Amino acid sequence: MAEASTAPRARHGSGLNLRLWLPLSWVTLLVVVAVFARWIAPHDPLAQDLLLERLPPFFMSGSEPGYWLGTDSLGRDVLSRMIYGAQIALFVSVIAASATCVFGSVLGMLAGYYGGWAERIISRLVDIWMAFPPVLFAVLLVAVMGTGLTSVIAAIALIDWTRFARVVRAETLVQTRMDYVDSARIGGARRASTLWTEILPNVLPTIIALLMLEMGIAIIVEAILSFVNLSISTDDPTWGSMIAEGRNAIHFAWWVLLFPLIALFFSVLSFSVLGEGLRQRFDPVLQ
Amino acid sequence: MTRTVLDIMNLTVNLPNRTRILRDVSLSLEPGEVRALVGESGAGKSMIGKAVLGILPPKVRISEGEILLDNEHLGAMTPVTRRNTVARMSALIPQDPLTALNPLRKIGPQIVDPLRRIHGWSADKARARALELLDRVHIRAPERVMASYPHELSGGMRQRILIAAAFAPSPRLIVADEPTTALDVTVQKEILKLIRELQRETGTAVLFVTHDMGVVAKISQKVTVLFAGKVMEDAPTEQVFSGAAHPYTRALINATPSSADPSRSFTPVPAQLVADLHREIAQDDHLYMTVTS
Ligand SMILES: Nc1ncnc2c1ncn2[C@@H]1O[C@H](COP(=O)(O)OP(=O)(O)OP(=O)(O)O)[C@@H](O)[C@H]1O
Ligand SMILES: [Mg+2]
Repeated sequence: MAEASTAPRARHGSGLNLRLWLPLSWVTLLVVVAVFARWIAPHDPLAQDLLLERLPPFFMSGSEPGYWLGTDSLGRDVLSRMIYGAQIALFVSVIAASATCVFGSVLGMLAGYYGGWAERIISRLVDIWMAFPPVLFAVLLVAVMGTGLTSVIAAIALIDWTRFARVVRAETLVQTRMDYVDSARIGGARRASTLWTEILPNVLPTIIALLMLEMGIAIIVEAILSFVNLSISTDDPTWGSMIAEGRNAIHFAWWVLLFPLIALFFSVLSFSVLGEGLRQRFDPVLQ
Repeated sequence: MTRTVLDIMNLTVNLPNRTRILRDVSLSLEPGEVRALVGESGAGKSMIGKAVLGILPPKVRISEGEILLDNEHLGAMTPVTRRNTVARMSALIPQDPLTALNPLRKIGPQIVDPLRRIHGWSADKARARALELLDRVHIRAPERVMASYPHELSGGMRQRILIAAAFAPSPRLIVADEPTTALDVTVQKEILKLIRELQRETGTAVLFVTHDMGVVAKISQKVTVLFAGKVMEDAPTEQVFSGAAHPYTRALINATPSSADPSRSFTPVPAQLVADLHREIAQDDHLYMTVTS
């Protein structure tokens, strides 16, 4: 028994480092930067100074000390705006992804476990929902609710819950047919409590992977909505609005576009890789 | 009226399209008795156990007949009462000890939780009972095993744990559904011995599903032979081996390689016999469909 329990762990250890270490550091960096933005950011992200407009980043000639990643066309510090942008991106992604996850997963589990009417109603709802083009849906929603972070979060949850519902339903269905569910029932477990105590732990790795993926997606969606001016006001430092602004000045101030784009790319990538890694980490059978 | 632990009377189990999986099955177990349930793969052996334990697959329904546990009609109970009665009265030793344990829960709660639910025991009392039974099935370091996950243990160990879990609540009936087929030949004997020992000590009645006639001879007092969901023979084990009444039972015995005497020749069940039986059942089905539609 001792050999059996230590051998797979050891093998797993080396794989874990490579796959989880990089995305984990990036996400940790994001969190730290977001939480301590007020102290880390060298400048006020909203402060304009037309004398300092379009300063290049530190490694180029003509840069000013203190403006590490240069400034945009209104003379605002790019690094500071990115730091505050991380705050908004992370806030939206955590709240929106959690809401999406809880809503979609609960419906998916109920459909997969109970079958019958619950299944038919929820699956039909998913089908109808998915027939709407998501971007149009989001734009409509924001148009109705008004721009702002709350609308962005609501839009993400309302569009993407179907992803959770579908995947979690399929996984729950697989687990529901497993012998261990019968074992629990023979042992006198109630039908509802079997879902939460026996099946949920087995569906959880899938849910966590989806949640991470969704956090990445939420960051993109927020950026897109900022890009098309449907998130918070244009002055506010979001990565999406920085990219939108940077686009206009790409030929003479490419840094305004490139740095937030890189941050966006790494964040989305990190979350999805992290999701897959955590799924394996939580699944002893996969280890 | 004799007291029976399990009495299945004229049980018919259907799919929604009225295909019959079990056809008018009757069998009973007295206290302390071991009844072997034999038949080829797909005959419906597991389905009988599932009907008794209330874990029939979705869409598979009991359409006729009665199941009595300790002379109480399961069919007449509310689902919650039935669930409680089944939990208190019966247990399962499954075919595959890996899938029957939840991979993401530790062994301890998987034995202890049912004890607490069934008997309303305190956590300490249930835990003590679990440890006692783990010790009884020769598990060394039972404390450590209770804190392990199923994948950390070997197949034989998992099956011993499931035997302990089945006997722990002191059920009156245990359904053992081919409890050794998923195991290495080397541990099969040991598992069989353990089940027989515990069965004798506790006087639990066991419905023992198997297709190994050698095991039937060793473990059971009664035999039910099943073919395509229909009972072919119901007789004391001795009688079956000394000259079985039904040709299909005889064919099954002849088709089993003897573990005691490997030199003895064995012959597969004749195809003609199987075809004849299927024809009989098909006629029967035709009648059933016309009568019930
Ligand atoms: N979920 C299900 N839905 C519909 N039919 C099923 C289902 N499970 C089993 N059956 C059918 O019920 C019949 C009896 O199956 P059962 O599992 O009881 O056979 P068995 O005698 O236990 O066979 P084995 O020795 O292979 O375990 C089979 O013909 C099978 O096709
Ligand atoms: Mg079976």
